[in-house]
Amino acid sequence: MDKFSLFVPNFLPFKEYFVPEKNIACSGCGLALAIRQTYKALEAVIEKAEWVKAGDGKLFARLFDKSPMGNSEPSLLRIKKTGGELIICFDNEAGGSLEEAVKKAMPAIAVAEGFRYVATACPSYPFDLYEKVKKGLEAEGKAYIHILCPCPVAWQFDPELTVKIGRWAVESRAFPLYEVGSASAYHLAVTTAKPRPLADYLKPQYRFAEISEQQIADLTTTVESDYKKLTDKIQPE
Amino acid sequence: MESTAKFTKSMVECSLLDKELGRPFKPGTRREATPEWDKDKCVRCGLCYVYCPDGAIYRTEDGFFEADTDKCKGCGICHRECWFGVISMVKED
Repeated sequence: MDKFSLFVPNFLPFKEYFVPEKNIACSGCGLALAIRQTYKALEAVIEKAEWVKAGDGKLFARLFDKSPMGNSEPSLLRIKKTGGELIICFDNEAGGSLEEAVKKAMPAIAVAEGFRYVATACPSYPFDLYEKVKKGLEAEGKAYIHILCPCPVAWQFDPELTVKIGRWAVESRAFPLYEVGSASAYHLAVTTAKPRPLADYLKPQYRFAEISEQQIADLTTTVESDYKKLTDKIQPE
Repeated sequence: MESTAKFTKSMVECSLLDKELGRPFKPGTRREATPEWDKDKCVRCGLCYVYCPDGAIYRTEDGFFEADTDKCKGCGICHRECWFGVISMVKED
């Protein structure tokens, strides 16, 4: 019977490493969902994973020199491996402005810093995230993964929309899922022939309740040009 | 670098992992509604299991799914993500 069932998580480990008894996540937390999925991918090396403050990492020491977040909670997950380390940034856009919501500088900086594997991921695409964390572990040298985690409290939306919002961010091209492997080969994980309107992603968030049509039009132009730049970097196979 | 200042603001500012500030989840609290499965419609795909942030959904012996009421926080992601409309959120008294 089990042989014929259409059971999606057959590909994922069943053991739970991130359980509510040990955390204080809010209802519908995107960060908790991302960490749960990441921990499953890190199964074999989970003892080596450590949470570090934003100023502790080598790349980030320079970037976060004058950070107001210097003494706050750990926000980067660092896993030491042979010949380098894997750094995972869980980005929930706390205190982020409208421009930051549609423009992520972090992965591009990591590419410029010479990281061997750089990727963006979102818990709305769990198998993509799982594969990317696995690849990051296997890659030679340093690796960096940027994960967008929708936060129902800070972004002010209904907790049941958490996964949908992440998907809309990708479909509207505000947060394209891509990876940069060795020899700077770009690869786009999710492609949409016809993008979803940016308003679909921004409007359900009450933190952007007062956004005007003109602002959305301007942001759409920015998003499209960024997406164009990204697709231009992808070499035809 | 010019972009540095802008960038720092968009980092995580959440006490989720701060053990000293945070109060761990007490079983069975913080819930308005619980998911319920309609077993006639369920195809046992397991998407609800994948998308549960709290790992509250588990698989029973016959292949269907149930929520552990001690862990569930009633967010409703499973209800929203189910392709077949199997899961309904039932309010508690």
